[in-house]
Amino acid sequence: MNELEEKFGQIYFAVLGAVGLAFGAAELIASAGEGFTWGILDSSGAADPTFLPWRAIILLSAGFFYLSSVKDFAEIHQLAKAVLGSIMIWIVAGMAIWSRIASSIPGEETWFNSLEGFLASYAPPYCPEMFLLPFSLVIVYYILKEKEAER
Amino acid sequence: MGHPNVGKSVFFNRLTGAKVLESNYPGTTVDFTKGWMRFGGEDVELIDVPGAFSLEPKDRAEEVAVKILEENRDSVVICVLDASKVERGLYLALEIIERGYPVVVALNMWDVAEDKNIRIDAEKLERILGVPVVPTIAISGEGFKELVSKIKEAAPVKIEKIIENAGGVESAAVSG
Amino acid sequence: MLKVPLSVDERWNLIEKISKQTVEFGARKHTLKDAIAELTVKPLTGIPVAIAVLYGFWSFFIDFAGTLFTDGFMVRLFDEHWLPWLQSVFPGGLGNPFYALLVDAGHMENGVLVASDNCLESFGVLTSGFFVPFGVVLWAVLAFYLMFALLEDVGYLPRLAVLVDTVLHKIGLHGYAIVPTFLALGCNVPGVTATRPLETRKQRFMMITLLSVFVPCGAQIGIMQDLVPELMGWIFLTLVIGYLGFGFILNKIVAGKSPEIIMDVPPYRMPMLKNIVSKLWIRTSRFLLVAVPFVLLGCLIVGLMYLTGAMDWLATVLGPFLMSWFGVPGETVAPLIAGFLRKDLAVGMLGGLMEQGIMTTFQVFTSVVLLCIYFPCLATFALMLKEENWKEFLGSIASLIAMVLVYGGLIHLVGIMLGVA
Ligand SMILES: Nc1nc2c(ncn2[C@@H]2O[C@H](COP(=O)(O)OP(=O)(O)O)[C@@H](O)[C@H]2O)c(=O)[nH]1
Ligand SMILES: [Mg+2]
Repeated sequence: MNELEEKFGQIYFAVLGAVGLAFGAAELIASAGEGFTWGILDSSGAADPTFLPWRAIILLSAGFFYLSSVKDFAEIHQLAKAVLGSIMIWIVAGMAIWSRIASSIPGEETWFNSLEGFLASYAPPYCPEMFLLPFSLVIVYYILKEKEAER
Repeated sequence: MGHPNVGKSVFFNRLTGAKVLESNYPGTTVDFTKGWMRFGGEDVELIDVPGAFSLEPKDRAEEVAVKILEENRDSVVICVLDASKVERGLYLALEIIERGYPVVVALNMWDVAEDKNIRIDAEKLERILGVPVVPTIAISGEGFKELVSKIKEAAPVKIEKIIENAGGVESAAVSG
Repeated sequence: MLKVPLSVDERWNLIEKISKQTVEFGARKHTLKDAIAELTVKPLTGIPVAIAVLYGFWSFFIDFAGTLFTDGFMVRLFDEHWLPWLQSVFPGGLGNPFYALLVDAGHMENGVLVASDNCLESFGVLTSGFFVPFGVVLWAVLAFYLMFALLEDVGYLPRLAVLVDTVLHKIGLHGYAIVPTFLALGCNVPGVTATRPLETRKQRFMMITLLSVFVPCGAQIGIMQDLVPELMGWIFLTLVIGYLGFGFILNKIVAGKSPEIIMDVPPYRMPMLKNIVSKLWIRTSRFLLVAVPFVLLGCLIVGLMYLTGAMDWLATVLGPFLMSWFGVPGETVAPLIAGFLRKDLAVGMLGGLMEQGIMTTFQVFTSVVLLCIYFPCLATFALMLKEENWKEFLGSIASLIAMVLVYGGLIHLVGIMLGVA
């Protein structure tokens, strides 16, 4: 990657890491109590409360991974940390989405859900990881860049 | 035969159309499986065995492999090597050759070796060993045609011949 | 001059000669993949990644098997259509022995025999016997093997092995033990077979014993998750403590060595869809072949024992012991009997008892754990006979009985001390 890309990556992932830490901390606090919902941000662990602390740990680690990758970002061992951070977010967010898919298909009284019911399952609020998901995808650009350089 | 996790089961599945589990870690195949492959107009039996590091078995899975080898004295052995770790694989291959089995060597994971920037002169290796040596990529099937066509050429080789081809070797007493 | 066969050193010398002439190692740069591979085995970075991976594994499992298939479709299919239909068309009716055996045994409520309203309470071969394998367990096993195949083919499992190596060394096992353990979480049978690469008899003996006692299979996990999701955390914790604790003890008392195993850690690979699908198919069909006949047979045997009064007799005889030692009611005899054949069926029967409301939460917890540890299912048992020699087999059985009595009693004791039993 060139210098501009490196600089951008550093700033970007520093910010993303900080946000990840903040969200992770919020989840950790939420998991100690009942959890909470702020507007469209959901930290209630409604589906399964035992999951919330684990999600908090994963999110906090992802935040740390991002932050620690910032120094010397272009070096592959550093970049690899950011990649792992993103992968961890993908896993949690992916499972949150999968969970919605799984519960959106069967209906309450009927075999299959009605269209409204189906769509309603995808309405906000979303968990923090789902918010981070699109932003974490930026790493794909850097992975591709690196792959190119390896050839 | 070959080390664990070099792609033997992928070979087996491709050659016989059978289905045995293939996985990316050592120790998936712990028992043997028999299957049939078409070869020159007739059906021949092919056996997938557990991975083994040498012919002196250290565990139950290796025991199975060695036992199968010993029970099939007159079969051709396809030695699957991980091309990115040829030396280790050659050890087992040499052991099998020494015992007088006709051998075909498959240098599998050719793609991995290339990625790791390891280049192997397969023709020269073939000349030294005196047995067919074929580079293969099991997952995409590259080299399989050649491998199968060369099974006929497999013949027992005397180890002395190999030593001669390699330019002699000091006996262990000298080299320590 | 050299003699044939060559000695080990001579062979290596020869190989060196050969490879010098034929192999050329080019300059090798670390790639991103190598860097990631490194990070995933270092504890500081590897443990969070492992947590994320296991989190993904488990949540996929729950949502696929529980939310989507079992709760979404199967429960409705079996409880609202299959059971009422059978109840209406099957000759005999409540109280008829044939009907009880195949469809619905019913249960007593205030002295009257009432019909069951779900396929766990009914205990019939055609109802419970089909609901357990096809309504619940099949989906759990599918979900498990799908995730498992993915982890295998990516190459993550050996890295998990490296990570847990230090912990497992304390109990005389090698990190490789995670592979049979993980496999056993799908089904104990392949788990036991996968102990073959372990070098010494001691390691194999320990591993087989620990697996068959403390590792519940996917079928069992699936149905437990369906019945008592809120207890799963505690159940797993109890089992892990038992696994490590008894591993530690076994390591101390079993003679023999636990040498290092050199395990290759393969590179990460892109999994191939074809391979995943074919593995999923092989394993799931194998599972059905083993499971379904045993579940049906188990239903039949337990049903017959109820009808002949043998079950009530056993419950009266063993009841006091079960109650005083483990703190569970005599009725659990039926699931315990079924558990000799299939654990999933046994847990399902426990579910039937739960719905009749005769057990406290702690009793449910204890009996579920007991069902996990008290005896391996018949298939595993048969395999143990094959894999171990007589002495080891008897040793396994003896340690098994000891573990169940000690651990089961211990759980009861802890329960009493915490005031929940
Ligand atoms: N890249 C690459 N991977 C391969 C090749 N052959 C096999 N594999 C992979 O290596 C792993 C081990 O294969 P398997 O057949 O189970 O090994 P076995 O233990 O020797 O039977 C699997 O994940 C295969 O997909 C190859 O030629 N190239
Ligand atoms: Mg194999």
